[in-house]
Amino acid sequence: MRESQIMFLQYLTGILVLVFGSFHFLLISVLSPSPEKILYIYNGANATHVLVGGTLYYTWVKAVYSSLIWGSVFELLLTFLVYHVFNGFRVILSELIPGGRAEKIITYALLVVALVVFIWGSRTVVVSLAGGL
Amino acid sequence: MTIENKKGWISWFNPFKYGTDRWMFALHRLTGIALGLYLIAHVWETSNILNGQVTWDKIMVDLDYPFGAHYGPFILSLILIVAVYHALNGIRLTIVENGLMLPKPYRPEFPYKAKSLRGLNNLLKIVLGIFMILISAIGVIFIFTGVIV
Amino acid sequence: METLVLKGFGEVVKTVTFRVRRYDPEKKEIPKYEEYKVPVQKGMTILDGILYIKEHLDHSLSARYSCRMGICGSCGMIINGKEKLACQTQILELGKDLIKVDPMGNYGIVKDLVPELSKLFNNHQSVKPFIVREEEEPKSEFLQTPDQREKYAMFTDCILCGLCLSACPTSASDELYLGPQALAQSFRYIVDNRDLGFEERLNVVDSKHGVWRCHFSGACSEVCPKGVDPALAIQLLRKVMTTNIFVKYQQKGATRGPERKSALGVS
Repeated sequence: MRESQIMFLQYLTGILVLVFGSFHFLLISVLSPSPEKILYIYNGANATHVLVGGTLYYTWVKAVYSSLIWGSVFELLLTFLVYHVFNGFRVILSELIPGGRAEKIITYALLVVALVVFIWGSRTVVVSLAGGL
Repeated sequence: MTIENKKGWISWFNPFKYGTDRWMFALHRLTGIALGLYLIAHVWETSNILNGQVTWDKIMVDLDYPFGAHYGPFILSLILIVAVYHALNGIRLTIVENGLMLPKPYRPEFPYKAKSLRGLNNLLKIVLGIFMILISAIGVIFIFTGVIV
Repeated sequence: METLVLKGFGEVVKTVTFRVRRYDPEKKEIPKYEEYKVPVQKGMTILDGILYIKEHLDHSLSARYSCRMGICGSCGMIINGKEKLACQTQILELGKDLIKVDPMGNYGIVKDLVPELSKLFNNHQSVKPFIVREEEEPKSEFLQTPDQREKYAMFTDCILCGLCLSACPTSASDELYLGPQALAQSFRYIVDNRDLGFEERLNVVDSKHGVWRCHFSGACSEVCPKGVDPALAIQLLRKVMTTNIFVKYQQKGATRGPERKSALGVS
């Protein structure tokens, strides 16, 4: 691909990440399936966490991950994010160590890491949708 | 014999004396690296939902209580502000880096203040800056009211 | 001891310290700073200060300069941390008693304040900074309206001083990056309606170390002594590159005026 096409996708995925990322932020606040729309409760007096009722409680997170709509949102967000992040890393590293074999090695190494992150994240979404381990 | 005199990568994060755009570039790069590394950590963190409730609860509590104190809300707020900055500056960059909202080629006049760094570009910075403060404030208030009751 | 003064300037106002980075290629030492006390007269520029040092205090100090009026672009230096032309910076305007003078960054140093500018010129050459046409010897003029000229006129003011590459954060680490100067010049020729060389420049400009390594930090436009605004040229060039993905950028080439002959019958 030409550099202009790669960078066009960089801008496009950036905007898409913003759109889907907003859903992600709404999910942990107003769209949360938990009864109290808060993250969790922290009791400062005896330094204990009360997760029940909050967004981060196991049941509610599980409920979000088993919904097909949220699953697809996460999967798309992950795809765009991985492209945006690892292309960004490639740009920064190619400016740090420009040219020659080093740049090629960095590009392919980043591709491998990107695939690992993508597969690892997709595993969470797909396995949850299929009903858990 | 000539010698090298490269400023090196450290000058990415040396925005002094070059105006606001250089500051925003330095912060954009810094926040970008931070958010990229956070993504990797976040993918690992959320993958623990498959490992059962005991593991999940332990990780939720541990991440909220790092280094022996309740730093969780502060870390979350920092991540939120960083993400909001990167997103909103990203909108500005998507617009101006593709040649939109910039002046037409003009006749330079003394004292040669560059118009591309001012005008509509400055307006964008102000508008997005206000948005950034608003969104960050809402987010931080949500995090703190949600966590500490 | 009586202080030596330069002719043609006003009275001595104060004495400032010049902290100049010295490098002697014959000694193979790392560059180090040396301090000189210079009496400042009204109207003295940094270049005058350096020439005062060279005449009266240390004859071995080297700097490159030519016109002394901001036209030739030879005397670019880093003055108190910011890239400036030494001949256009008034000492009294800086308002500091300590003036730090460094050679331009991101180039090699030949000696003292003399940068090795071949990178700048090679990059400039690589984008074909001339009008590309197939004809070897045009028989008539290419027609251009004033509006068509306005599209690139401001970028022709570039004097190749190289300050932008010294200020650019990408050039600071990426020696293959074309730099603001070359990219601005490639835009100047791409939008010129007489030009037909877009395809040839595309491979250089739209490459891994071409136009997309600019991140619009605006430092080049901030330091440009002629107001060329290279950052604007790069962003507008990117607009051309982005539209070129979807709709092929077309250069028509200017229409021809009537064929002309000189009095001797030679065109």
